[in-house]
Amino acid sequence: MDPILLTQFFISGIMISVLYILMAIGITFIYSIMKMINWAMGEFYMIGGYLQYLLVTAIFGVQYWFIALPIAMFSTFIIGVGFQRILLKPMFLGGIERRDDYATIVTIALMVLLRNLAVVIGGPYIYSTPDYFPPVHLGPLPVNGSRFVAFISAFIILIIFYIIVKKTWIGLAFQATAQNRIGVEAIGINPLKIDQLTFGIGVALAAAAGALLAPVFLVYPESGSISTMKGFEIIVIGGLGSIPGAVVGGFLLGMVETLGSVFINPSFRDIYGFLLLMLILAIKPVGLFGEKVRVA
Amino acid sequence: MGIKTYISSIPILLLLIALPHFLSSYMIHLAIISYYYVILAVCWNLLAGYTGQFSLAQHAFAAIGAYTAALLAVHLNIHPIFGIASGGLVATGWSLLIGRLVLKMRAIYLALATWAFAESSRLFIAMEYEWTRGDLGLPIPFNMMLYGPKALTPYHYYYTMLIMMVSILLIIYKIINSKIGLFARSIREDEVAARMMGVDVVKVKLFIFSITGLFSGLAGGLYAHYMGLLSPSLISFYEMAIIIIMVIIGGFGTFWGPIIGAPFIYILSEMTRAYGEIRMVVFAAVVIIIIRFFNRGLTGLPLLFKRLLPILRPR
Repeated sequence: MDPILLTQFFISGIMISVLYILMAIGITFIYSIMKMINWAMGEFYMIGGYLQYLLVTAIFGVQYWFIALPIAMFSTFIIGVGFQRILLKPMFLGGIERRDDYATIVTIALMVLLRNLAVVIGGPYIYSTPDYFPPVHLGPLPVNGSRFVAFISAFIILIIFYIIVKKTWIGLAFQATAQNRIGVEAIGINPLKIDQLTFGIGVALAAAAGALLAPVFLVYPESGSISTMKGFEIIVIGGLGSIPGAVVGGFLLGMVETLGSVFINPSFRDIYGFLLLMLILAIKPVGLFGEKVRVA
Repeated sequence: MGIKTYISSIPILLLLIALPHFLSSYMIHLAIISYYYVILAVCWNLLAGYTGQFSLAQHAFAAIGAYTAALLAVHLNIHPIFGIASGGLVATGWSLLIGRLVLKMRAIYLALATWAFAESSRLFIAMEYEWTRGDLGLPIPFNMMLYGPKALTPYHYYYTMLIMMVSILLIIYKIINSKIGLFARSIREDEVAARMMGVDVVKVKLFIFSITGLFSGLAGGLYAHYMGLLSPSLISFYEMAIIIIMVIIGGFGTFWGPIIGAPFIYILSEMTRAYGEIRMVVFAAVVIIIIRFFNRGLTGLPLLFKRLLPILRPR
């Protein structure tokens, strides 16, 4: 196999996996604080893509995509907080038996609702955002410009997220809430407020992935489904609720996909992740970085 | 419970047996597909509503059964009965494999793994076009279908699907009212407590997961022979979503809920097909309202009336 071609495959694999890591961290962040999986994650990805498309084509123009990105993220943040207040907050106020069932069903219904609403509003069309950036050359290798800037921006967003969670006061509050919801009430943190922020930030990360990948994978009502599947696979591989696990799992998934599509068959690219997931579940069921949780 | 329920369901059964003689063939088609969805919805309800295990691959098991039956018929000329049976077996095999890996973990892992499984198998079937013809769709030749060319009217398939549905409902009714059903409900309420009381949690979950896989696979196999044309859209997430919608609107965690909900939602969505995607938006909104405020669905309507009557009646 041609080494240059192989490197190119690897570079594009790594670049895309950073975007999937963005999705996975959104999912795992919401899980670790609210103890629920947001199944509608892909739909917030889709909303991010649509908003970015609208902002870029109607208002700013392609060269200012980096201004549109935070606006799309912030709008999705607001939408997410709204949904959290209406639908998910009652989970923690009592009055809902069997919280897990409730969260699963509500977010799946939300997913169906948003997908079809996208068809009703935007039509069943595929919108293509123009490329953000001309092709870049990394040494001898040409790289698609949009993929490159998506990679760089996702990397920057991840670093900002990391700094917020690890170094700031609000980040400590997030960590504390993830550890013990009742404990944080005793030290003056309102977990319901933290939940709102968490859900908003989690879906904003998904929206960022959607907005950044808008020129690569295009914008259509079901655009989120493959990225969401990758996100779920990554968090199972890396361990539920673990941020380093999501990062390592994401790169591992990217590697396996690249190796699989180079050496086996490129059309099954999106399936190798599932095989990796089965393998990890067979060897280390809690995931690479997961800890065994005491149930009682 | 018991003998009374059986006797009271005999008139309904007679009505269903007589039904095709009063309906147009299009209505019979709707009935057949409704029965298919009843099987899937009842299976999912047994899994999620009674055992608390959220599988998101019920449609994938049905599609695997369907594709197995169709592929065996198309490529190997195997008799349809064996094709449908092996469709059920292949679906059981997959559910056993996934169940063994995942069911000893927390419930959320099952949902994640089955979601990934469903999406991956859809992509696999779409991409493996040499065998499955991918998005072009896989037609079963006329002479290889279950009733062959003589089944130009759907009567044969109506009665076959009816028999399959009734026997699956009977088995599931038996399971729910047996010791295993009791174990399943104890797992739903509190898994740790159930284990403390000596319930072999993993075994019960695995049994229920694989038996629902078997039933879905069988239903899928029969569906393949009835429709005669399969496509990967059988595993699109809408299929799973509509099963969930049927169960929730019918009545989550009740025996009759999915049996009422599946035909209701399916026929309603066929009747309102002209309105396009907006009907799915409405269904999803109804599901959210039901699960938020009153999680008994259609089967809870009499109860709701009883509760509302004192408020509405003038004093």
